[in-house]
Amino acid sequence: MKSFAFFLAGWLVPGLGHLTQKKYWRGAIFLLAILAMTGLGLAMGGKIYPLYLKKPDNLGEVFFNLFKKENPLALLAFLADLGNLLIYVLSRLLAFGQGALERSTFEFGTAYVAGAGLLNYLIALDAFDIARGKKK
Amino acid sequence: MILESHLLSMVLYSFFVSVVLALLRREDRKSQIRYGLSLFILMVLVALAFGWFMFLFSR
Repeated sequence: MKSFAFFLAGWLVPGLGHLTQKKYWRGAIFLLAILAMTGLGLAMGGKIYPLYLKKPDNLGEVFFNLFKKENPLALLAFLADLGNLLIYVLSRLLAFGQGALERSTFEFGTAYVAGAGLLNYLIALDAFDIARGKKK
Repeated sequence: MILESHLLSMVLYSFFVSVVLALLRREDRKSQIRYGLSLFILMVLVALAFGWFMFLFSR
């Protein structure tokens, strides 16, 4: 249960799962790297993809409606962006990360943000492994 | 505008990914540096090679 809390801490804020386990250097480098990637991505006009959900007509449609959108791959982008949980929640509350499609850096910016999210899943899982004693 | 150069963006992206993966996948400092450097060089070289490969089909 405690190790799950470290996973959640790492998921919410990059590196927090390590910092709270006294892995200060590793936690600080993770925090800096992920924040730099996300910040650069957003500055380049990258988009943070929300979960577009079409209102289901019945319970059976809930799953299939995940794929009913203009681009079904946006679901994968959403899952990648969700890896940076705090940034994702802030982007929904403060309405940033809308994406500047007209800019030449839009694609790379979006890749930076998604890459940061995916890396943060690995970082949070690493904190979980350390807490369980599977890793130093 | 920030990072207009796609090459610089790719190199910087590779750097960050290499640093994080090296710290995650290797324990001691020496092998972290070796793994991170080889990952970085491999990512940049493969991206450049693939970029030139795609140039063959540009028109």
